[in-house]
Amino acid sequence: MTENNQTMSTDSMDIQSRQVVVANEHGLHARPAGKLAQQAQAFVAEILIINDEQEVDAKSILDVLTLAAGPGDVLEIRASGSDAVEAADSLQTLFKNRFEE
Amino acid sequence: MADKIITGIPVATGIAIGKAFFVNRNHKAHLPRQTIAASLVPEEIGRLHDAFATVESELSATREQVPAELKDYGLLIDTHILMLKDPKLSGTAADYIKNLGLNAAWALEKAVSDQEAVFGAINDPYIRERMQDVRVVADKVQAKLIGRETDLTAISGRAIIMAHDLTPADTVELKIDKIMGFATVRGGKTSHTGIMARSLGIPALVGVDKLEDSVSDGDLVVIDGLTGKIVVNPTEAELEDYNERAAFFETYTRKIKRRCQLPAETFDGSRVQVLANIELVEEVASVLDNGGEGIGLYRTEYAYLNRTDLPTEEELTEKYIDLAAIMSPRKVVFRTLDLGADKFISAYGELNETNPAMGLRAIRFCLKNPQLFKTQLRAILRASVYGNVSLMFPMISGVKEVRQAKAWLAQAKAELRREGVEYDQNMPVGIMIELPAAVMIAEFLAQEVDFFSIGTNDLIQYSIGVDRTNHHVSYLYQPLHPATLRAIKLVVDAAHQAGIEVSLCGEVASDPFCVPILLGMGIDSISLTPQAIPGIKRIIRQTNMHDCRKLLKNVLECRTVSRINNLVMDNIFKHFPEEVSFFTSLLENDESPS
Repeated sequence: MTENNQTMSTDSMDIQSRQVVVANEHGLHARPAGKLAQQAQAFVAEILIINDEQEVDAKSILDVLTLAAGPGDVLEIRASGSDAVEAADSLQTLFKNRFEE
Repeated sequence: MADKIITGIPVATGIAIGKAFFVNRNHKAHLPRQTIAASLVPEEIGRLHDAFATVESELSATREQVPAELKDYGLLIDTHILMLKDPKLSGTAADYIKNLGLNAAWALEKAVSDQEAVFGAINDPYIRERMQDVRVVADKVQAKLIGRETDLTAISGRAIIMAHDLTPADTVELKIDKIMGFATVRGGKTSHTGIMARSLGIPALVGVDKLEDSVSDGDLVVIDGLTGKIVVNPTEAELEDYNERAAFFETYTRKIKRRCQLPAETFDGSRVQVLANIELVEEVASVLDNGGEGIGLYRTEYAYLNRTDLPTEEELTEKYIDLAAIMSPRKVVFRTLDLGADKFISAYGELNETNPAMGLRAIRFCLKNPQLFKTQLRAILRASVYGNVSLMFPMISGVKEVRQAKAWLAQAKAELRREGVEYDQNMPVGIMIELPAAVMIAEFLAQEVDFFSIGTNDLIQYSIGVDRTNHHVSYLYQPLHPATLRAIKLVVDAAHQAGIEVSLCGEVASDPFCVPILLGMGIDSISLTPQAIPGIKRIIRQTNMHDCRKLLKNVLECRTVSRINNLVMDNIFKHFPEEVSFFTSLLENDESPS
């Protein structure tokens, strides 16, 4: 998976980017969206979830729901801030584990 | 005259008088819209955040009380809590207060509208529907802001709970000691509202279409679970009348309840087993309390509904063992999964059948999905170690289907044997007789199984070819149609000829007017809703078999339903005047279009 993990240098902080695939059967419906937001809230980093059309705040369950991401969709996690690496890794794991469903 | 009288479907009997309290009502209609002075903005934002925080802590408290078996509702509350914490809602509302000077409730309404616009544009219907959850949490916060909430803990006096719909999660929040009755717009005969009301012994109506338009919070209402009426703001005279009726009914109920543990034995010494139909293990208390001699029909669908995955064998086994253990040594008849048609199993998606009642359901569905079927069979077998478990297959149409189902059962047994898991090798296996085809070949089917259970609700629909929920033809749904009676008789005779027992479940079994005929047929047991058991036992204990046989003989000679209904009514009027005044019989809808 290393080819998906990029670290981009900007003026003051690192931006962590991870590519993930929505692997659970029903896509990012209420429960996984809730888990994602809940987990994101544990970090101080600003975290965005990005698809072809929009970028939304990972800490907002409503925002994540509006992505309407279905099974097989490819998304980008982009985190910036002091704990950006941990945040991006932790959310990536959540996707990999299909939100423990 | 009262302000209004509206009607619904009674799902729990009794009469209650009290004040109407609405839960889950939409506050949008009477929302105050004001602008506020700049100096008051910080205070208003503070009020907004306080309201969010209060609702959040209340929901967290509710969350802790959600029992483990309502896991899905617990997860729903989790979603609601996350929405409350979401800055998209509270933050946007705070911005509206700051930038536009709106009062908090209005600002929140605007934030909700913004979300509605975003969600409305989403193609996925599932995601779009989550807007309902946003609405639910916003309603709760707005109720706090405008002080219009119905605080159920503060109800004084007697309350009748009214709602668009009541979910098990809502009922966790209700403090039940002050609640006298329920009325909802949605829901059917088997809805959660009915189950709960019956277990509390209070009346309930569902399907009350005009409820929200006709009743306001605080109205004095009479809810009549005998006739399905709600009387809004009754006159003195009406109130007196209902008080009297309620008192009569209570006396009658107490009288029959005192004797409900006595055996169901006729004057001339014939015994009939009176069993209960249940859907939830929690209903067992009510079965025993009402004198049920066992469970004649355990509907096993509930564990499969309202979820996206399937229950595991362990989950089912635990539930089934609970039931078998509590009821032991009384018998428990498990009906295998009867899903399809009107019910819906999320894990398999919708089938899109043009005629689901005749489609892939019940045993057909199980035979097509053997993994699902075998999981349930293994769970039932594992519970059978208590020695009181029987199993029956629903919607059997022919001998081959029975043999196929039994082959899966044999395979499940072989697996358990290999694994060293114990089960009852002599567990009786039966089938439901609910299709006319099964009636006609009852003598063949009787050679394949240990017992029959006649499911009259479906049998009547399939044999008369009528959907009882269709207003245009429901008048044809006649339990005592000569064809139905002949069908039941044919099945009972075939069973007895083959030396097996025959039971009957279906509404007919809980109709005091119909029971004497069933007795006349020589039925071995009947299975009915637990709350109807004391009344039916009373009827049985006060009839004699000789009269029942005579009534049956006369009835079988009648060529029209109305003639039969008249005979049956005469019989009841003569012997049971009290029942006539309290119970609406299934037979009363004898109105055909002329």
